Amino acid sequence: MSGAVDISHETIQTVYHHQQGPEGSIINIDNFNLWYGDKQALFNNRLDIQKGLVTALIGPSGCGKSTLLRSLNRMNDLIEGLRTAGGISLDNQDIFDRNVDVISLRKRMGMVFQKPNPFPMSIADNVTYPLKVDGVRDRTVLSETVERTLKGAALWDEVKDRLKESALGLSGGQQQRLCIARAIAAEPDVLLMDEPCSALDPMATIKIEDLIAELRGKYTIVIVTHNMQQAARVSDNTAFMYLGSIVEYGLTETIFTKPRSQKTQDYVTGRFG
Amino acid sequence: MTKHFHSELETVKKKILSLSAIVEERVDMAVKTILDMDGKLAAQIRDTDFEIDQKEVEIEEDCLKIIALHQPVAVDLRFLIAVIKINNDLERIGDQAVNIAERVAVIDRQNRCNFAFDYTEMAETAQTMLTLSLDALIHLDATRAYDVLAMDDDVDCFQDEAYDAFKIAMQENCDCLGFLLNFFLISRHLERLADHATNIAEEVIHLIDGEIIRHQPHPSNKKK
Amino acid sequence: MKTKTKDKRFATSNPAARGEPALWTMGGTLVLGIFMIVAFLILVVWNGIIAFYPQKIQKVVLMDGRIMAGEPHRHESYKPQPDHLAALPADVRQQIRENKGFARRTLYKTGNFDLYNEDYKWVDDFDVKQVTEPDGLFYIERIEWGPFIGFIQSADFGGVTLLPGEADFLDKLHREHAQAVERRNEIARLERKEIGDINYRLEEGRLALKQIEMASGQQSVRYQAGLKKFEAETGALKETYRQLETRADALKTEDQRFNLVLTDIEGRPKPIRMSEIVRIYAANRLSLAGKLGVYFSRWGEFITAEPREANTEGGVMPAIFGTLLMTLLMVIAVAPFGVMAALYLREYARQGHLVSIVRICVNNLAGVPSIVYGVFGLGFFAYTLGGSIDALFFAEKLPSPTFGTGGLLWASLTLALLTVPVVIVATEEALAAVPKSMREGSLACGASKWQTIKNIVLPKALPGIMTGLILAMARGAGEVAPLMLVGVVKLAPELPLDGHFPFLHLERSFMHLGFHIFDVGFQSRNAEAGKPMVFVTTLLLIFMVATMNALAIYIRNRLNRKFASSHF
Repeated sequence: MSGAVDISHETIQTVYHHQQGPEGSIINIDNFNLWYGDKQALFNNRLDIQKGLVTALIGPSGCGKSTLLRSLNRMNDLIEGLRTAGGISLDNQDIFDRNVDVISLRKRMGMVFQKPNPFPMSIADNVTYPLKVDGVRDRTVLSETVERTLKGAALWDEVKDRLKESALGLSGGQQQRLCIARAIAAEPDVLLMDEPCSALDPMATIKIEDLIAELRGKYTIVIVTHNMQQAARVSDNTAFMYLGSIVEYGLTETIFTKPRSQKTQDYVTGRFG
Repeated sequence: MTKHFHSELETVKKKILSLSAIVEERVDMAVKTILDMDGKLAAQIRDTDFEIDQKEVEIEEDCLKIIALHQPVAVDLRFLIAVIKINNDLERIGDQAVNIAERVAVIDRQNRCNFAFDYTEMAETAQTMLTLSLDALIHLDATRAYDVLAMDDDVDCFQDEAYDAFKIAMQENCDCLGFLLNFFLISRHLERLADHATNIAEEVIHLIDGEIIRHQPHPSNKKK
Repeated sequence: MKTKTKDKRFATSNPAARGEPALWTMGGTLVLGIFMIVAFLILVVWNGIIAFYPQKIQKVVLMDGRIMAGEPHRHESYKPQPDHLAALPADVRQQIRENKGFARRTLYKTGNFDLYNEDYKWVDDFDVKQVTEPDGLFYIERIEWGPFIGFIQSADFGGVTLLPGEADFLDKLHREHAQAVERRNEIARLERKEIGDINYRLEEGRLALKQIEMASGQQSVRYQAGLKKFEAETGALKETYRQLETRADALKTEDQRFNLVLTDIEGRPKPIRMSEIVRIYAANRLSLAGKLGVYFSRWGEFITAEPREANTEGGVMPAIFGTLLMTLLMVIAVAPFGVMAALYLREYARQGHLVSIVRICVNNLAGVPSIVYGVFGLGFFAYTLGGSIDALFFAEKLPSPTFGTGGLLWASLTLALLTVPVVIVATEEALAAVPKSMREGSLACGASKWQTIKNIVLPKALPGIMTGLILAMARGAGEVAPLMLVGVVKLAPELPLDGHFPFLHLERSFMHLGFHIFDVGFQSRNAEAGKPMVFVTTLLLIFMVATMNALAIYIRNRLNRKFASSHF
């Protein structure tokens, strides 16, 4: 029932029953493969992330969900010996195209990491960092950004009196919300979240989940989580990955009431992973 | 976590199956009282109904506990929902068995007349429906469940037959109206019993397929 | 059947588990190390502090009738040589034998090197007949020949004769001395600075002319024009020179009217001009306040004045200045060089075999003996690079080398090279300690790699980099061996920093405190005279290095605190 299931990757037929967003898909992952050196980590991933919706990636440890997420903004480029095949396109533009500037690509995708990583600067400086590296110097624009993003991250009321203080003095949950504020500062198209709540306590987690619900619609959100209940709570579509392949991609409520693949069912009911 | 969870699921499964065995036995006894007009048996049915009620409460509480503590999803969730509903239906079936027993007791005290109606086929059909639906639950067999749905039409036919027969009999024998009325009402109870068995079958189908087919027209479901 | 049950409540772990023996060893070695450092510091500090304190002068009458006077410096027990023993009277020999063959003697600083040809003398205790401390004995520090110990016979202040016995003789003496010092300083200023300026400009003119000659030849028009200009300038300068010289001569003549006639303890006379005296005091008549006055004035002189008497007297100001300047230049050279090299190695270079080899080489550089750096500095920097610079830019000064020999620049660069491995290693460690999550966060915000380094990584690594620089500075400030080859001299004629353009003369030789210690202690003609100077200079050097380190640590702490809420 559990444990090492030998999966022959050619025989994985992904089941699709996801909901289409009102504005169509924004990211198209097409037959995407990825190798760490000689070891293949992602197998023929095909996924259409819908604009304005929250998409969750779930699966047991080592299934490749973080790898897939980090491929979307090419953070995996930092790893030596990495090789990819197949395409990922953002707004119908191939992100691996030679003419694409990785830095501008990353500006269009905000990323929030597992462990909150505010910079050792003041709160205001943290939030305006994405704009400053872009060369924005206008003080009005910067201070307006500070207010807009902190309000958008539901942090404004808590920190509006101490914007000049160090960001490291905030609690874990506040730091993560600060990182979310920083991620939306440059008004990205997509928000990528890699297990954003795994280092937080339950109260902070609830706040972040509420925040995700608020940001939905304005931003496309892709969230990787190993907490299935969280995926069930916050997402519209859910993709279940196993050993580098996407097994099922569908409406979240369907995945959790009557998943169409036995493997998915086994995972969500806790039979393995 | 999952070990504990699965053992609790198994416990609930065992309990619902044991309850269904008890209810089957009660229905057996109720059918017997109709056919034999045995007053003692009827009293026994009434006196032991509390067992079923107790078990029903126990099973429902167990299910609520599992849902609250373990947040089950997919097939496990459907299983628990099915158990809760089937639990309820089984208790109602038990109540119908008691109703039949009481009806028999009332009939016993009435003036008899010559009229006789053979409930054997109807009763046995209803009994079979219950047995089949419980079988479908135990074996998770959708075919048997669908058979039960088909058999509900037969029971409805028997109900119509009884209605016609008793209407004529009441017109002809005005002095044993009490007897005839109560005798007729047995058919109602049997028909209700069959409906509950049908519900059980529908819940089993939902558990298996994930499709909620209640209120949907399906080939052999002819609603009146 | 009785079972032995151990009550778990009273169980104790065995000493081996608790590590007691190891704990004592660790504590012991720490204490030993601290003790050695403290003992060393106490030795240096004590000897350094008492060195300048004025002592009493004793008049010693020996058994054979000779008289001597001097400051008593040391007592010690020693074993007399056999032939020396034989020459002694019998009762003395008996005493020595009873004392297991040891006799005691005292070292006296007698001064008066010009009279006796030695300024320290051992006196055996058994030779001493009588010791007194006469009031009239003076300790006189002189510009030349070291200190004089003796009596003042008479004083001649511009025609007015005074005798020591007279009332307020001492006050008048000190007043005249102060004026004589002023005259001396004025003369020095005229000669060193103003006349020196003129010589400098004359030399410049000559060199400019030579340049023209080398470029266009003696017959060219430019040369003729230049020659005319040169001669005109020279004339004017030489006129100024004559005026200054006259003034200086006048002062000198005036100066000669103020003298003292001194006598040593045995009565030999010695005339001396007032302006030759650096410091004069009646050693046995000083109050505590007076002694402290002399003490602090000696410290002041030590730190602000130039050395005299082959570095055994006077001050070490040029050495302090040279050490500070060289350390500063070294840090300026090594900081960007080391930090940028480490930055490239850690952040940009593709990590593979080549980079590992480079890192190993850098680490090994730290183990190369410092004298080897000195040789490299001399051969490569001074001769090769310096020679080329000379040939290109200073051809007119040849064959006298400008940059083609040791100097401030080459010494700083050599030491920078010596300390660069420390900086590279410390910087690499500091860069590696910046967590990956911070870099990823910055990149995910759309910053380029360089922006991430500039805004996030470097500021966070700055305290670690500062530590590396502090270590480098401490190491460099203390190295002496390579400096001896590339630019440090025993006595530098001028400071590397002066009023003439370009103000900082990187080609000049300079003095260095570390080298000064070596020179004074072991290369001077007078080991005994040098000893107190060694301790005092060591004390000063330790103090300076400690101050520099403390300053750097303070800056680092400020950066640490500031960085927590800094803007970029």
